[in-house]
Amino acid sequence: MIMNRRSLMTTALTLGAMKAFPGLSYAQARPLVFATFTGSWEEAHKAVLVPAFRKANADAAMVLDPMLSVDQIAKVNAAKANPPIDVMLHDPGPALVAIGQDLVEPYPVEKSAYYKDLIAEAQEPMGPAPFFQVVGLTYNPEAVKTPPTSWADLWKPEFKGRVGITNLNSTLGTGWLVEIAKMRGGSEANVDPGFKAIEELKPNLAAVAANPGALATLFQQGQIDISPGNFNAIQILKARGVPVEFVAPKEGAIAFKTTIHIVKNSPNRELAFKLIEASLTPEVQTTLMNPPYLIVPTNSKVTMGGEIARVLAKDTAELKQKFVFQDWKKINEQRSAWIERFNREIKI
Amino acid sequence: MGAAPASRDVTSYRMGLAAPLALFFLVFFVAPLLQLLWLSLHNDTAAVHWGLGQYLQFLTDPFSLSVLGSTLLLGAEVTAVCLVLGFPIAWFYQRVGPRLQTIIILIVLLPLLTSVVVRTFAWIVILGRQGIINATLQSLGIIDTPIKLLYTQFGVVIALAQVQMPLMTLPLITALGRIDSNLDDASCSLGAGSWRTFFKIVLPLSLPGVIAGCTLTYAAAITAFITQSLIGGGQMLFMPMYLYQQASTLQNWPFASAISIIFLLAVLAVVSVFTTLGRLSRGYGGA
Repeated sequence: MIMNRRSLMTTALTLGAMKAFPGLSYAQARPLVFATFTGSWEEAHKAVLVPAFRKANADAAMVLDPMLSVDQIAKVNAAKANPPIDVMLHDPGPALVAIGQDLVEPYPVEKSAYYKDLIAEAQEPMGPAPFFQVVGLTYNPEAVKTPPTSWADLWKPEFKGRVGITNLNSTLGTGWLVEIAKMRGGSEANVDPGFKAIEELKPNLAAVAANPGALATLFQQGQIDISPGNFNAIQILKARGVPVEFVAPKEGAIAFKTTIHIVKNSPNRELAFKLIEASLTPEVQTTLMNPPYLIVPTNSKVTMGGEIARVLAKDTAELKQKFVFQDWKKINEQRSAWIERFNREIKI
Repeated sequence: MGAAPASRDVTSYRMGLAAPLALFFLVFFVAPLLQLLWLSLHNDTAAVHWGLGQYLQFLTDPFSLSVLGSTLLLGAEVTAVCLVLGFPIAWFYQRVGPRLQTIIILIVLLPLLTSVVVRTFAWIVILGRQGIINATLQSLGIIDTPIKLLYTQFGVVIALAQVQMPLMTLPLITALGRIDSNLDDASCSLGAGSWRTFFKIVLPLSLPGVIAGCTLTYAAAITAFITQSLIGGGQMLFMPMYLYQQASTLQNWPFASAISIIFLLAVLAVVSVFTTLGRLSRGYGGA
């Protein structure tokens, strides 16, 4: 073989390019990529779900690539034919967007060993829900002596300038608006009463946070004493010594299904299925239910225990009774209009 | 006449050296920008129907325009605060010994060495209800109940001013350093007082630094997504958050693209005002 300057250059450039852009060389043979959420989700999945998956699948290579739901959708949308993600995790709103944009595959229900054990609300044929997120009332027990019992307590005059809420960018903010609308005679299709209620809440509002994470900071800084809040986020704050408590309001705690999906055209379809199976097993869900994770399980074979049994539900039956599920299909239809309206009307 | 051709400006260089950077910008900046422009010229989210609908929607909507207006105003306020606070630091820097100079430059640079997120969280601690400011005012008996600083326009301006301060101070230090200190003495010996010397000599000669500092601070302040949303909260809407909301939460990419293009043009307009001032000042300084 004759080695001339040109062929040498080509080889060097190719090797260099392969080094610089590894995606070029193993488009098919990349490890399984699971886009979980950032923060406590990532920690929990790294510590529990990934080891369980690898143990059950001969140490198969996998990568966690934590990002927000909306970013997952954007990334997959940008490369539909060869998606950079194999398994997506979604809140109810984005899940419907992903399904609507034809980005996910139906879950192979008939192959699944655990799907049938999930409680009915978690059985989603386009991607089951391995976890619930629960939204209730969060308060500072040092400032609020009598624990609140209802969403309506936020309007009490004693909380003047002490209430925090988030805007509608988050699932929490939107879900909460729907819930207070329902409390006042509205529904997923009509949140007018909710907006009126927020209008009346203004004297009590100390802050409208840009995201639920910012609410945590506001509690830490004593900026607010009471707010709608995510059960898991509160447990993390509590563990760090911040004086916060969570109660499920008597109207019912809002439960969001966190669904997990196989990405359409994934090169690792089989492993993606295996990962989702692992997330549905009673073992993984039990471990994740225990401290420090306290993630609400969806497999009916998991016996509820600890903090979850204390403040949320002792078993599946009670869980169904105390949790409120919302119709996100309806919510998504008008969500952008609500966000616009919130932008315009809610100024404090 | 000298050996060099008169037409050749000493400040101009051969363009070839800039080619790698130019190529980089072409691929990673100009191309995406064109794609953004292309996307913004569609009326539907699927980007099928061409039209100027997104721009019309923004430009005919008083709310969107008010978001743009308040963002540009925020930038002006932050720039003004940075200039007023940064100029004395730069002035002082030129008049102290080398040891103090090192300390000043360290203090100026220190914020750049910590991440914006960390600095912003520090401001949450400072501005909060139980924060340093409120605690001090309360212990001095000036106020009874904590005043609201976090989630106010005032809080955002103060926090942004601190976060962006190095961008103002560093060009000012350079500009003031270039001024011949003999000019001060000459001005004094000719009978001008120190204020007159400052306004007639120092300020005009430092204008290039002022313009550069203002441009950098302005551009950084209006696009500071993190500080704006953490200190301003969810109900104070500025352009970066508006953009994020449309692109990420609502997946309305064409409208988000139109917002970006309009924002970009508005910022370019402001920056070109600064550069025009800069060009004028160069003429002034040379006169």
